[in-house]
Amino acid sequence: MGRAKRRLISRRDFLKAAGLGAAAAGLGPAIVLPGRSYAQAKELKILVWSHFVPRFDKEWFDTFTKNWGKANGVNVTVDHIGLAEIPSRTAAEISAGQGHDLIEWIAPPSQFEPSVLDLGDVVKEAERRFGKQHPLCRRSSYNPNTKKFYSFCPGWTIDPGCYRKSLWEKAGKGTGPVTWEDLVTYGGKIKREQGIQLGIGLSQELDSNMAGRALLWSYDSGIQDENENVALNNPKTVEAVRYMARLYKEAMVPEVFAWTAVSNNQALIAGRASYILNSISAYRSAQKEVPEIAKDIYFTPALKGPRGSGWVSEHVIYNYLVPKYSKNADTAKKFLLALVENYDQAMYASELYNSPAFFDAPIPSGNRGYAPVKGAKKLRDLHNAWFENDPFAIPGEAKGKLSVLKDAEKWSTVVGHPGPASPAVGEVFATFIIPNMYAGGARGTKAEEAVAQAEKQVKAIYAKWREKGLVGGKR
Amino acid sequence: MNRGYEGTVAAPYESTSAGIKDRQGTLARLMIAPAIAYIVALIGIPFVMAILYSLSDVTTGDPSVDLVGLRNYREVFNDPVFRLSLKNTCLFALVSQTLVIVLSRILATLLMKEFRGKWLARFLVMLPWTAPIALGTIGWLWMLDSIFSPIDWLFRRAGLLGAPGDLLGPMTNLYWLGEPVLAMASVIFVHVWRLLPLATVIQLAGLSSISKEILEAAEVDGAAGWRKTLEITIPLTLPIIGIAFLFGLVFTFTDMTVVYVLTRGGPVHSTQVLSTWTFFKGIEGGDLAQGAAISLFLFPVLAGVAALLLRMARRAEVT
Repeated sequence: MGRAKRRLISRRDFLKAAGLGAAAAGLGPAIVLPGRSYAQAKELKILVWSHFVPRFDKEWFDTFTKNWGKANGVNVTVDHIGLAEIPSRTAAEISAGQGHDLIEWIAPPSQFEPSVLDLGDVVKEAERRFGKQHPLCRRSSYNPNTKKFYSFCPGWTIDPGCYRKSLWEKAGKGTGPVTWEDLVTYGGKIKREQGIQLGIGLSQELDSNMAGRALLWSYDSGIQDENENVALNNPKTVEAVRYMARLYKEAMVPEVFAWTAVSNNQALIAGRASYILNSISAYRSAQKEVPEIAKDIYFTPALKGPRGSGWVSEHVIYNYLVPKYSKNADTAKKFLLALVENYDQAMYASELYNSPAFFDAPIPSGNRGYAPVKGAKKLRDLHNAWFENDPFAIPGEAKGKLSVLKDAEKWSTVVGHPGPASPAVGEVFATFIIPNMYAGGARGTKAEEAVAQAEKQVKAIYAKWREKGLVGGKR
Repeated sequence: MNRGYEGTVAAPYESTSAGIKDRQGTLARLMIAPAIAYIVALIGIPFVMAILYSLSDVTTGDPSVDLVGLRNYREVFNDPVFRLSLKNTCLFALVSQTLVIVLSRILATLLMKEFRGKWLARFLVMLPWTAPIALGTIGWLWMLDSIFSPIDWLFRRAGLLGAPGDLLGPMTNLYWLGEPVLAMASVIFVHVWRLLPLATVIQLAGLSSISKEILEAAEVDGAAGWRKTLEITIPLTLPIIGIAFLFGLVFTFTDMTVVYVLTRGGPVHSTQVLSTWTFFKGIEGGDLAQGAAISLFLFPVLAGVAALLLRMARRAEVT
């Protein structure tokens, strides 16, 4: 109740503003892409994931698309599906040669490159209007080997560490972990003395994949190098696997082998985790369900490895693809530009879960559905201001808790780091080779053996996709 | 039996405008046509496509088919996860079906007896079969949750778990799906829970078909208890037990829901089965060709089981 009172903007105001924004986008330049007319387009079918923040879909995206369609004379249909269904649904539509005109993925959909349109023209136009696309987003939608944009990335989600301040204070590290070693030292101490484990997933799910990569990169290793050569089997990876075995023994319990994508959120909210690696969604849920826990959750940037490197993977990378079968490709492209133009509302409606790909995009004028931010002209200004002073903080919460996320793009990277995303990176991700490599080490397999087994699988995957010309590198 | 009579009466009609229903061959073909069309469209074509895909380099993003011979089969067989999945598939299927047969036999024997509330017992036994498998398995996922498991809660309340010296250990939870042995046991248990009702009904049908005279004669000859079970009822219902076993085997071999929902093949592939590995490789990983090759490894086993099933069904019919 207190929270509702504190809000300067009501739900109705926001919906109204979303409609106005969409209408404004529709009344913008009639010709968006040179030589393309959108007047003939009458229909646009969009398939998107069901956002982790439910109000994003209900209060913003559905209204925005509807109003954009009205303003542009386009009959827009939006279908939401669960995250797990996206790959099979996309495969079925591509195979059938019919379906949605725009399909949203939350990972790089690089394996679909042969069957989707090159969206280089959209990227070019977006950069002309909104400034440079962040490299993290570009590397998640562009194949440097074929020089094709197989998708368009308007935004992403940050993957910080979330820790329980009170537990870490008692252990003597109130500022939270700074290095991976801190997790063993203080996380282990918290488990021994306070009976609360920490939670880095070692399971066949999304967050375990992200965490495993963050550890690998922070230990100065990676699955591939910048030229897409397989580079997994090296002493630094072995060192990372040994570290994970130690971390498991000192600070975790077997639950991490069975986790699903929501388990770390549940553990944190239930007060059963001292630290997790996740987006801010767990914290947002806690604000609604267990405010006392939410007040105790604080955030850390990427943890540093033994030589000072610190990386995390983006948590979610929004990618829209346009299948070749689409008869409404021009309308789809125009919609993507309108989406970027109104990304301030996407950030707000997602409760800051979404971050923009185009930080320099100007904030449209008028009522935007949120309290105006003094001096903010670009998305970058909003991003900084909101993370400094969270508009969704609950009463009694410390200020500036999210401020560590302001420069998240400096310590966040793509799943193919240090190279680009590719179908091989995608298949390694989908078959959970990295979490299983760590899990094997944690369960007693010799680190060298766990790495060698993982490398064998990775190499077979790379060789296969390289043969199809979609992945670079030689080994 | 009545052909002569029918023939003499039907002759005048056949010579003029013999209705389609009078032409037995045509009528038979027409009536079986929908079934054949169904089998061809939904089983035959996908099966041929799967073979074609497994010999090609097709991916989810590139449906064009370029033949590559047996390369996918070679690569699949060199993959240690595939070999582990094959082993797990056989283990899960055989262990769960053995348990199903034993338990369904006990249940069927109990349900043959008259007692108060028998209809309720039958209803409860059938319940797991009526629930959609995905929903039922999600229920078990919650029951086996690493934090909120009510089973663990019961153990803690009973003083068996959660304190030093407790029988099941000092940890607050057993982590059913996080320990390889417990995860395997959980998957097997849910399969048993799911397939027990069908096997019980099949066994009940078998037990009901035994002639009372045979049983009475056996009793007169002094056979009772285990002897009657081992020497009369089991041999007489063996064909139908076989059918229940083989049906369950096919269901378990081809099911991916239980493993996908409960463990997604973890921990460290210890519960990975061919159907889930097919999905991860073929759909999520995008390599449709290898996915097809993995799924076809089941075919010889399933074809053999199907042939056996048909043979036993025929024998049971004769009996």
